[in-house]
Amino acid sequence: MRLQMYFPERYEFFCPVKINSGNRALEQIPFELDALNARKPLAIAGKDAGETGLIDVILGAFRDSGIAVGVFDGVPVAPDLKLIRELFNIYRDRGYDAIIAVGSGDVADTAKVLNIAVSGKPEDIEGCAGEDLIRNPLKPLIIVPTLSGTGYEMSRYASFDGRDYASHFLMPNLAVIDLRMTVPEDAVTTAAASLAALTHAVEAYTGSGKNPAVDAYAYASIQLIMEHVAHVIGDQHDGGGRLSLANAHAMAGCAFSNVAPGTAHKLGQVIGDLCHLPPGLCMGMLLPHVLKREMSEGGYHISDLLLPLGGFDAYASTAADLRARKAIDILYDLLRDMSAASGGAIFHLWKDAQVSEATLQKIAQKAVGAGASSDIEGCMKILRDAREGR
Amino acid sequence: MNNFREVAAGGKSLKRDYVAVMMWFMGRAIQAAAAVDEAVNKEFAGMPDGFTFALSVMPNGPHMIVGKDQRGFARYRGWDPEGKKIDLDMKIKNIEAAMLIFTFQESTALATARERLIVDGEVAHACAIVRILDIVEVYLLPKIIAKLAVKRYPGWPFRRKYIGRALIYVRTIFGL
Repeated sequence: MRLQMYFPERYEFFCPVKINSGNRALEQIPFELDALNARKPLAIAGKDAGETGLIDVILGAFRDSGIAVGVFDGVPVAPDLKLIRELFNIYRDRGYDAIIAVGSGDVADTAKVLNIAVSGKPEDIEGCAGEDLIRNPLKPLIIVPTLSGTGYEMSRYASFDGRDYASHFLMPNLAVIDLRMTVPEDAVTTAAASLAALTHAVEAYTGSGKNPAVDAYAYASIQLIMEHVAHVIGDQHDGGGRLSLANAHAMAGCAFSNVAPGTAHKLGQVIGDLCHLPPGLCMGMLLPHVLKREMSEGGYHISDLLLPLGGFDAYASTAADLRARKAIDILYDLLRDMSAASGGAIFHLWKDAQVSEATLQKIAQKAVGAGASSDIEGCMKILRDAREGR
Repeated sequence: MNNFREVAAGGKSLKRDYVAVMMWFMGRAIQAAAAVDEAVNKEFAGMPDGFTFALSVMPNGPHMIVGKDQRGFARYRGWDPEGKKIDLDMKIKNIEAAMLIFTFQESTALATARERLIVDGEVAHACAIVRILDIVEVYLLPKIIAKLAVKRYPGWPFRRKYIGRALIYVRTIFGL
């Protein structure tokens, strides 16, 4: 029997991100810059990029290219507008025409916000905060993610100094995923990044914004994460696995940009903020519970999820009415496998947070305010189940 | 500004020199193979008279230029594209990609599939050049390396493979 692909009555999909991945991918950047009509890039990186040698790898990729690269490797944790002013002056005074973000998280957000300023005027940083308030394409932006990137850096979103931005113009022109940049991270960092990406991909694949193009990105992302994440957490020297995960994260970010953020994403963000836990870890811990609740409410396409999660054999050998339940069980198993591979660190971190009933109430209220759900009791049930591990 | 610096590109002279030598040898070997091997000769026969192609590394070389003269013979035309009318330019995007190709870690066909080259000119001619490169590599390299460098290693008869190889090496070295 042929599988029926879901086809909505109407949909939109937009993804301008070119992915350049694999052996010697970084060396392609000068060629890609030329294609973007840029000659003089400014590379920005976190403070640790110099120590870990990532900046040297980037600079090595430019050797023999004839292109001089500006390097700023001082993006701190929680950067502010003062940094943007400094970078804006460097970019403008020295005549740069493209930005390369070396890293994810704060570095990528800084690059996106800097791009708003240099593509227009510095005041745009205030004026463009919000949903779809950037009116014109920005200057070329290249992102070189590390393994700690969740894929958020590929997305249409940026958060900077208390401001949130959402626009397709924020998506990079190019993502360069090179094994040399996916240096091994600690187990919790890798797990948090992959769980965030998995959450984004799963919620895109099962959500109401599902369409064939989103499915393509989400399916590939889920499959790659399922194949590699537990092994990479246990053996960080698995280079092929790390490269696959970095690709999966990028694809999840592209899918995530084309759907509304889901409940697990929003709840995970709120818990991460309030309990000082990695948001990706929270999203992953909540994901099966959110799906369970959505399944009980008739949910969208959760049974389809069994295919990328479990593979053809699991899908074919499971009765149609049991597939959703089986998909959720596989997610529980994955969390257990990941925790075992990390020596229990993932579950310990989650349980040690010891979120009180009052905090749960606060999280639920904040999450409902952020649009995670319209139902505080529903949120509370998900949060309690996740806390108790039910 | 403490964390800012501007870094000049620098060079990779050893790799450039290696690729330049390999291209020089390959160019002369193509000329030799066209005189010795019927299949290579046929490929050139299908190209217009005066046709010239270049294999180069972006952004500034090295280059390998091979053309078909008015009498229909393939000729290695040096490494300087200046003043030459190039009908087909196959550009390797960077020196690292050229190293992968000329250290035979990737075949020309695989490198093309992996977007390591761009072609400026007729695709049909580019395909013919890739076939010629494959044949020349089979002649020049021992089987264990050539298998990595070509799309499919051919089962040639003894005479073609070994006599042809000797003739091509002699002609390449003496520039015949």
